[in-house]
Amino acid sequence: MVTSTSAKKHLQTTLEVPALRKKYYAESLQQGTNRKVAWCSNGIPSEILEAMDINAVYLENYATVCAAKRLSSGFCRAGERAGFSQDVCGYARILMGYLLGGEEAPEAPYGGVAKPDFLVVNSYSCDSRMGWFATMGRTLNLPVYVLDAPYQPQGGCTEDVNVIYSESQLEDFVAFIEEQTGTKLDRDKLREKLDLARRSHDIQVDIFEMRKAIPSPMGAGDAYTIVWPGMYLTGTKECDEFYQRLHSEVSERIEKKIGIVPEEKFRLLWSGLPFWYNMALLNYFEEFGGVVAIENAYFRYQKSLPSQHKDPIKDMAISSTMRRPYADDIEQRAEITLDIVRDYHVDGVILAFNPSCRLMYVLQPELKNVLDRHEIPNLSIECDMADERTYSEGQIKTRLDAFIERMLSGRK
Amino acid sequence: MAFGGIDVGSVNTSVVIFEDARILSHLIVSSGELDSEPRRAMEKALEAAGLDWGELATVVATGRGRSGVDFAQKWSSEVVCQARGAIWLFHTARTVINLGAESSRVISLNEYGKVQSFATNDKCAAGSGLFFESMSYLMEVPVAEMGQLALEAETAEEVSSRCAVFAESEVISHIHRGVAKERILAGLHRAVADRILDLVSQVTIYRDIVLTGGVARNPALVKELEERLGFAVCLPPEPQIVGALGAALLAGKKSG
Amino acid sequence: MIESLGRLRKDRHDEARAWKERMGKKVIGVFCCDVPEELIYAAGMLPVRILGEHEEASEGNLHFPTNVCPYPTSCLDQALKGRYDYLDGVIVPNVCDMIRAMHGAWKLNTAIPNVYFLEVPQRISNHGVEFFRENLARFQRSLEEISGNSISSESLKQAIDVYNRNRDLLHRAYEMRRKGLVSGVELQEMVLSSMLIPKEEHNRLMDQCLEEAGQRHPAGDGVRLFISASMLDDTDFLQLIEDCGGWVIADDMPMGSRYFFYSVDNEAEPLEALAKRYLARIPCPRKMLPQARFEYVEETLAGAEVQGVIIHNLKACDCHLYEYPYLKEMFEARGLPVLFFRGEETEAELETQRDDIEAFIEVLRG
Repeated sequence: MVTSTSAKKHLQTTLEVPALRKKYYAESLQQGTNRKVAWCSNGIPSEILEAMDINAVYLENYATVCAAKRLSSGFCRAGERAGFSQDVCGYARILMGYLLGGEEAPEAPYGGVAKPDFLVVNSYSCDSRMGWFATMGRTLNLPVYVLDAPYQPQGGCTEDVNVIYSESQLEDFVAFIEEQTGTKLDRDKLREKLDLARRSHDIQVDIFEMRKAIPSPMGAGDAYTIVWPGMYLTGTKECDEFYQRLHSEVSERIEKKIGIVPEEKFRLLWSGLPFWYNMALLNYFEEFGGVVAIENAYFRYQKSLPSQHKDPIKDMAISSTMRRPYADDIEQRAEITLDIVRDYHVDGVILAFNPSCRLMYVLQPELKNVLDRHEIPNLSIECDMADERTYSEGQIKTRLDAFIERMLSGRK
Repeated sequence: MAFGGIDVGSVNTSVVIFEDARILSHLIVSSGELDSEPRRAMEKALEAAGLDWGELATVVATGRGRSGVDFAQKWSSEVVCQARGAIWLFHTARTVINLGAESSRVISLNEYGKVQSFATNDKCAAGSGLFFESMSYLMEVPVAEMGQLALEAETAEEVSSRCAVFAESEVISHIHRGVAKERILAGLHRAVADRILDLVSQVTIYRDIVLTGGVARNPALVKELEERLGFAVCLPPEPQIVGALGAALLAGKKSG
Repeated sequence: MIESLGRLRKDRHDEARAWKERMGKKVIGVFCCDVPEELIYAAGMLPVRILGEHEEASEGNLHFPTNVCPYPTSCLDQALKGRYDYLDGVIVPNVCDMIRAMHGAWKLNTAIPNVYFLEVPQRISNHGVEFFRENLARFQRSLEEISGNSISSESLKQAIDVYNRNRDLLHRAYEMRRKGLVSGVELQEMVLSSMLIPKEEHNRLMDQCLEEAGQRHPAGDGVRLFISASMLDDTDFLQLIEDCGGWVIADDMPMGSRYFFYSVDNEAEPLEALAKRYLARIPCPRKMLPQARFEYVEETLAGAEVQGVIIHNLKACDCHLYEYPYLKEMFEARGLPVLFFRGEETEAELETQRDDIEAFIEVLRG
């Protein structure tokens, strides 16, 4: 049973996002037969889709919308009754509930999403999404394209072999879309989108950098919302301008020393995904002078590389080989986490164990071990990020209260 | 010739004596009682039927503890016996939902009454008789009255967790907040019905649906299930003996 | 002879240590069917499949959470308890989230050297074969370094020959199982032991086993079953099925047909041949090729006259769990009833599984 829901926003710019999102879904639904619709997983390079005028629907985001609108129980249940185990990704169960639930499923937010012409999924984030997309392909009888890339668990490299493979997969991807749409990729347009996307990304990196300030100018409550344009409106002027405004606002707050709470008593790192059906939990600490100063799920800490090649596809292949944002080897993760704790002046870490997001879930115990070894206070809470039936308010609040007490008593 | 069926569950033992297409006697004993020891239970049932051991042609044992019944000639699974018993009671049965003390199962039958698929839930407590017992203790309402009381509520207090342990802590918190018992019970029954539907949806559901097991006596649960299924279910007059009945029928068949 | 196969698995650590001492050579641990063992063999080392154990993963649980596939946690647990101290390396292929996590976990928490990550493309394409081939070349160089031996093209071809022979022998056993001359448990023990001892030794063993099996009379009247599983690293589950009167005559399991069903084309350039076979011919649901998966299942089922299907997926195995509803549909469309288990690899669950298996077999007997 969840009593509170959306996070309180402290920044003005953040408040622009819901309208942007609503517009995005409305336009997407309206476009009907004018543009081909691709159902995508996070990580599919939207610059390419933008450049080819594809109406891209990112399903994981739609699942978080369903969760935020408190519809996850109904959708998950419908998905489970359609045969999908409770073990699998909460986002997938929500979408399978949406697709197959029929009358049992709740009413879809925004009137639903545009029907797809094809599906595209990347292979290098997690297993679940591949099984999920294969399932949707079967259900809808539509082609599914898998965008593959070298896994590189230890991060970036410059190996030619990897670049060649990465490039070949991007080219295959382009070829697939060209086949589906009957139009050719305009590489100049892609170059434009790519440069713009990188600019937005770099502004976000700056903003993340600025969040090291004390008092915290922007916490996780705002952060999880403001990542949205960068993920789903990539390569657009709208997105670029949004981040510029946000950058200004954050700069101003730092200049005027405007924090999230009147008196900042402790700073937290949220490791793992938030509970989309109860984002207000991120504000809970504020009553006690605490802020979730930083989160690691969508952490942007590396600026874009300068262009590596004239041809935008080659450029993308080389850059992504040199920077593997999805590399989740535990050693790397542990290092990054310790850096975050140090650089963001973090007093304690909340480890959110989201059982159905296996990718993040798998690493949390080891992260806890690392934090324990370094005597960094931490609290583990186990709750799915999308399925609100796993949330027990009483239990969670009790544990948070104890941790908050610990944080407060730890102050000199 | 009389035939005997005995269902040795972890919580209850039931016996049916069957002859000439009718039930001569039946008996339900809870384990821990002296009479629940299989041989004793069979003796008592024979006594009630006015028969002695010699007049019993064949015995079939079912239930979790069936292998301990040394006087049986055959041992059969609960799935098969529940199905057989349900079909005898309702010739049009195509789905059996057995809600036992510790475990539940759903059985799908083809048009000839043969089992075609089944699914068991013996991991999750919610929906079982023992779950209701623990809730009864928590809420200080006798098990037999829980259903009736739940029906009296106009609105339900949501118990949304999908886990019995969570449900317990939620119920406690509702009690502390002073929520009326009938409303909590209504919410509880809804949650349980949802869990049962999760199990049931693992097979294709065809009418008619027969509900068996002690939990089938609960009117509020029956109502919630019927609402979710969209149609009425068939309720045996003695839902706890369906397994033993099926075993007795099998005993009759075995002997020709 | 067939009885002693089980002992090879149970005593695998002692056997591997003894081999090491006797031969003065190295032992390399391997995860999953995706690693071309032929390369390890050609380098003069012994590849051994990492297996879990039926004991509480008290050490492993400190590093992995609860709602994950229990097999890799159990494997790590074994390493942390020192059972795998004799390993000179561990190969972790890019196959699934949990196995990938083994790479970091073993590096960080064990003293086992040479924890090697093998890149495996997640999509089958010509470029993928090329990329995989390049990675196998890298892998080869690393193995040469670890072993101190160089791997020539000839030695690799020889290794492939030995491995192909083993696959043929296992195929023959598969056929014999269909006829009731080899039991389900026995075939699984054959596969498991093949993953643990030197291949040429296993070939000799198989020759003897097949001869012995050839002398038998076909088994009685077990209910004929097809088993599809995500991971069964011992024979307990199959033994349970046989104890209940079931007769496993065909399978789709990693510790079963998936390991040996397809051979390597030894006419082609060896690395290329290995890349092709190990990329395209491991019929695991992770490979994102529903059509090929179903074709494969049809192939393993062919001519088996099965009465029912048991599907056993370890909990939290996304790859298999997504496929399950469609696999079930496929079998039911052919009139084959399906019994499904979501396994947790605990002792306790075998008892509750027994109930369901007994019921299933009783129903199938009619």
